[in-house]
Amino acid sequence: METGGGTGTMDRSSPSALPGTAAAHPAVAVSGLSKSYGGIRALVEMDLAVEPGTVHAIIGENGAGKSTLMKILAGAVRADAGTIAIGGVPVSLSSPQDARRAGVGIVYQELSLFPERSILANLFPDTQPTRGGLVDTDAMRRAALPVLERIGLNADPDRLVGDLDLDERQLVEISRVVLERPRVLILDEPNSALNERETARLFAVLRDLKAEGMTMLYVSHRLEEVFDISDRITVMRNGRLVWTRDRAGLTIPDVVNAMVGGSQGDLYPPRRTAQERSAVAVTAADGTPAGSLEVRDLTVGDELREATFTARPGEIIGLAGLEGSGVATLLGVLFGTRQATTGSVSYPDGGGLPGSPTAASRRGVALVPADRRHQGLMLDRSIVRNVSLVSVGTLPSRTPWLRPAEMLGAARRQIERLRIKVGHPEDPAGSLSGGNQQKVVIGKWLEVAPRILLLDDPTRGVDVGAKREIYLLVRALADEGRIVLFRSTELPELVGLADRILVFYRGALTEELDGAATSDTEVLHAINTGRRADGPDGAQEKEAER
Amino acid sequence: MTDAGVATPPGGSAPTARRRSWRSRLPEEAGVIIALVALIALIGTANPLFLQPKSLFQLLSSGAFIGMLAVGMVFVIVIRDIDLSVGWMFNFSAVVAGKLMVMGLEPFLAALCGIAFGAFLGLINGVLSVGLKIPVIIITLGTLSAFRGLSLIVNESKPILAPDKEAPFFTIWDGKLFDVIPSVAVAFVLLAVVLHILLQRTRFGYRVQAMGSNPDAARLAGIPVDRTRILVLVLMGAVSGLAGVIFFGFRGAIDTNSGESFLLPVVAAVIIGGTPLSGGRGTILGAVLGAVIIQAIQSGILFLGIDAKWSIFVTGAAIIVAVTVDQLVRRQRTRRARDVVDAG
Repeated sequence: METGGGTGTMDRSSPSALPGTAAAHPAVAVSGLSKSYGGIRALVEMDLAVEPGTVHAIIGENGAGKSTLMKILAGAVRADAGTIAIGGVPVSLSSPQDARRAGVGIVYQELSLFPERSILANLFPDTQPTRGGLVDTDAMRRAALPVLERIGLNADPDRLVGDLDLDERQLVEISRVVLERPRVLILDEPNSALNERETARLFAVLRDLKAEGMTMLYVSHRLEEVFDISDRITVMRNGRLVWTRDRAGLTIPDVVNAMVGGSQGDLYPPRRTAQERSAVAVTAADGTPAGSLEVRDLTVGDELREATFTARPGEIIGLAGLEGSGVATLLGVLFGTRQATTGSVSYPDGGGLPGSPTAASRRGVALVPADRRHQGLMLDRSIVRNVSLVSVGTLPSRTPWLRPAEMLGAARRQIERLRIKVGHPEDPAGSLSGGNQQKVVIGKWLEVAPRILLLDDPTRGVDVGAKREIYLLVRALADEGRIVLFRSTELPELVGLADRILVFYRGALTEELDGAATSDTEVLHAINTGRRADGPDGAQEKEAER
Repeated sequence: MTDAGVATPPGGSAPTARRRSWRSRLPEEAGVIIALVALIALIGTANPLFLQPKSLFQLLSSGAFIGMLAVGMVFVIVIRDIDLSVGWMFNFSAVVAGKLMVMGLEPFLAALCGIAFGAFLGLINGVLSVGLKIPVIIITLGTLSAFRGLSLIVNESKPILAPDKEAPFFTIWDGKLFDVIPSVAVAFVLLAVVLHILLQRTRFGYRVQAMGSNPDAARLAGIPVDRTRILVLVLMGAVSGLAGVIFFGFRGAIDTNSGESFLLPVVAAVIIGGTPLSGGRGTILGAVLGAVIIQAIQSGILFLGIDAKWSIFVTGAAIIVAVTVDQLVRRQRTRRARDVVDAG
């Protein structure tokens, strides 16, 4: 902390550090900052000036470069090029210690606490006050208590962090950084674990700190809160600065447009009418009328009970339900990873349930799993190998030989069709961003033209731009006469994309909602109760069920 | 050798287009090749006799049996398994083939039966592992003793000797191609070429690598993972059987404990060659070189006039060095991919 004060003195004694600037230096000045990971440019010639004593928000989609910028300022990642000045003094931040010495403190979105140690011990991770060579817990307590009180953490400082709730841990994390008395405090989604009341309390603390002259960089996805707390807003996109403006005079749509790159039209493609769909269905595939997927009284132990529905070609069926609602089980049964207890399913090819994923794949059923990194991709293998996984690895073939030229051609085809951003088709899949990885997973299935697509939360961890592309793609696939079952944990996208939404609740299919006529809140109510908000039938059925 | 560079898509070795330099065009096995050349040069400087073609080919044929098992083991390790029973599949197959010859079966036919028998033993491993859903390493821990025990019953705890050492089956394995290259070495190299093509150029090899790279993703892409695992173990058994019958043809006898000490050098050869125990990729050429390196250490110690007792220690040290170097290279390669995933 003494060194921090020293820098401050130097600050005043060297006004020529940034020639041309006004008397007060920016608290943080970043110029021409760039960072690449492999072929991906995470940060491109970023410029930023943060006025002292303000709350400055940094916003952008996933992959916009916000976190990379924050990590560089915190000394966790080194920039490839560019300069950083803290309080007008150029600094080189090659380690977290450097950053701390320069007066930068950071609260990460991932908690970085020691769960098996006490709150007090966590507050002083590496610089405990000592007396006679021993750790002085009384001094720690004296220093910590006022801060804890102000942050609003009403817990015994001797409690173990592992026993605290997630939001309390977040407050410990913030207290720890505040105790370092940084001149610049970086908050990377500090309230992701907090509820509204706790967020309000956090914001009160932040305003107090601001009044004391602390400068804050605030990274968040929640635009309402950004508008609530910040003085200035910087929008980033694709690793670049879009603009920095005063919050006063901005509206949320202004910011959203800047984030996604101007007006990109609607997020969701238009739905088709029933007539359009039936026209599609007849002309599908090889000219034969495309069949439906008919599920009758499908039961899997206690996990799924007597589900009955029909999915028609050209239709996007949304599957909604909480953890344990049976949605995951349904997808597993349809793809052959789970076995049904009773019930029947009729596939478009006339067959019944597949006995294995191999059988499912060969019969034109595709599954895009929710856990992309563990279940969808070979991260260490090339995009070429990943795209050809089903066509080469699974489909029967007359020849035992690999055809490298065909595999490369397939990869190029999918890269072009899905607009996957790659350096080279032979690059490992792990080098791609989340959205592009997901496109590779989808691409390997498109290569074999499946008739049924089972999409398990395909936009998880994908940024808005890639989401929109995935929505368009899913609609286009439905328009080609395919059957689409689309599970999502994000209700707005279910409502925006699906033609019909099937609601699963505790293993039962309890509701069917019209995608065009329903709302997020209605679906939310339904997945939590199994019923519509005001369904008179629902109440009766519930009675009948008992 | 260039073959390996072309057939292995340089996925892991060249993370970005910009970085695609001379370094990534080198075959993956460059390190092992350099190590082997350095080792031979070192021993050759101390004792020039070692550099005679005869000695060098001798190296290849002495390492052939470990090497044949090692190139088969590459497949098993690529799917993240390990087959502990190889030494006794080798022994048992040779015993069965020898017994058939003693009983009067035409030696070549008996040899074919021995290979088929090895494949059958591999099938037992595979069916048990897949059927009972127990890892191959555990199943083969059991079958290694079972095969050993049955082999002892069949050979009645006595070595089996060739009935007629002048029969063509025995003379060819004793012979030399162009009067310099031992037949055993020729068989080893041919097997390695066939298995290299199988791993790198066929759909089967593709599945094997996919399964090892990400078993869940492979299964959910519909790859028949159970069948592929069984086939890999059948292949391992057939390769063990082949090595066993060639050993019998070469030596004209199979002892009760032949093959007993093979397991560790076999796995060591695969690892020294650069196939990671974490699976997903493998190199047949590397395993060949690994087997030759192990043999070079063992022979070299004799050529250097050092007590043969040291060879086991040096082999162990070589494994540690090889794995350490391999780890360092691998970390370099994966770091960039991981960084990108972590980038916000």
